[in-house]
Amino acid sequence: MCIQFIIQFVVAMIATLAFAIVFSAPKTELLYCGLSGAIGWIFYSIISTTLSAPTLGNVVGALFLTLFSRGLAAKRKNPVTIYLITGIFPLVPGAGIYYTSYYLIMNEMDIFAGYGLSTIKTAGAIVMGIIFGMAFPQSWFNKAFAPSCHKS
Amino acid sequence: MNDTKKVLSFAVELGDILLRNGAEVYRVEDSVLAILNSYDITDCDVYVLSNGIFASADEVTEHASSMIRHVPMYPMHLSRIAALNSLCRRVCSKEISLEDAWIELNNCKNIPCYKSLAMIVATAVGCGGFSYLYGGTPLDALCASAVGAVLRLFLLLDEKTGHTKTITNVLGSIVIAVTALLFYLAGLPIHFDKIIIGSIMPLVPGIPITNSIRDFINGDYLSGSIRAIDALLTAFCIAVGVGIVITLCSIGGITL
Repeated sequence: MCIQFIIQFVVAMIATLAFAIVFSAPKTELLYCGLSGAIGWIFYSIISTTLSAPTLGNVVGALFLTLFSRGLAAKRKNPVTIYLITGIFPLVPGAGIYYTSYYLIMNEMDIFAGYGLSTIKTAGAIVMGIIFGMAFPQSWFNKAFAPSCHKS
Repeated sequence: MNDTKKVLSFAVELGDILLRNGAEVYRVEDSVLAILNSYDITDCDVYVLSNGIFASADEVTEHASSMIRHVPMYPMHLSRIAALNSLCRRVCSKEISLEDAWIELNNCKNIPCYKSLAMIVATAVGCGGFSYLYGGTPLDALCASAVGAVLRLFLLLDEKTGHTKTITNVLGSIVIAVTALLFYLAGLPIHFDKIIIGSIMPLVPGIPITNSIRDFINGDYLSGSIRAIDALLTAFCIAVGVGIVITLCSIGGITL
């Protein structure tokens, strides 16, 4: 079980890092991008397997990922977007969108509706996590991670 | 005070490049406003959509000026966003004059992407990784890597032909499905759908759909709708491409 999660963490990190290159992230930030993706995924993975609640997993994963990204952004003086966009890549419902439109084309309306709703639910859950994470005041992050520079 | 025009055109140009490289609507709005305010232009309005910028400043004085920009949507380029963000911060704190800032802005505009080979390897590794994360076996991941590399090769070649996004997405997903089918027909014990899921990751609009919901919750309903419709169209194109190949297979008597 534990080894399974460690493998997932490493794979998520490598995969996110690879897609950070595709999105042309700065060379010096690639490792941190990978790390934020891995953190989001591991929280999602642990919660969705142990509690079998994938939506809650998405919220919590996105929340921790947002907090981590904001900490990094304050520490390394970069916009939070860099870490956030690459970090949510493992969580976003790419497969869900694909299945939704695939079953629409295949004319299987029941499965189409199911996948469509679950895709919107997943995306909504991730956004909720991000919003909660963004709700903490910026000054906390500046104090905790960049005490020398109080300008955001 | 008669700097209004100069400051506004710099601010809007910076916002344009930010938006063009995939920054969020609120970040563009904040950056443009911050630059204008730092030059004591407070009588100003900025309205940003996901594909356009409207800005005006000092409308009631003789220096009145306004700008409208149409910004087409391009692939995301995070290095440029980071560089522009730090440039914006330096302009706001007056560390750099407006003339020097223009030169820096042009440098930011031309920050290159990674080399083609690096892109191919990165796509391959990423596709393989996601195929594994979404429940594939290591063998599936290996096949997805190969499919991902072929896909990136196709996308790089396709860039030069000037196809529209719709055609690129349909053709790209046909390439994915055909390559995955070849592995399947070779008799490997693989899961066809897991390979497809992993290797369409570079094409599927997961980030746009999430960003569109963020726009909705921030109150930017129009930007959210634009992004959502764009994302749905992209997803539809991908499904059409994969659907064509799977339908042809079932007509030809291959069960997947």
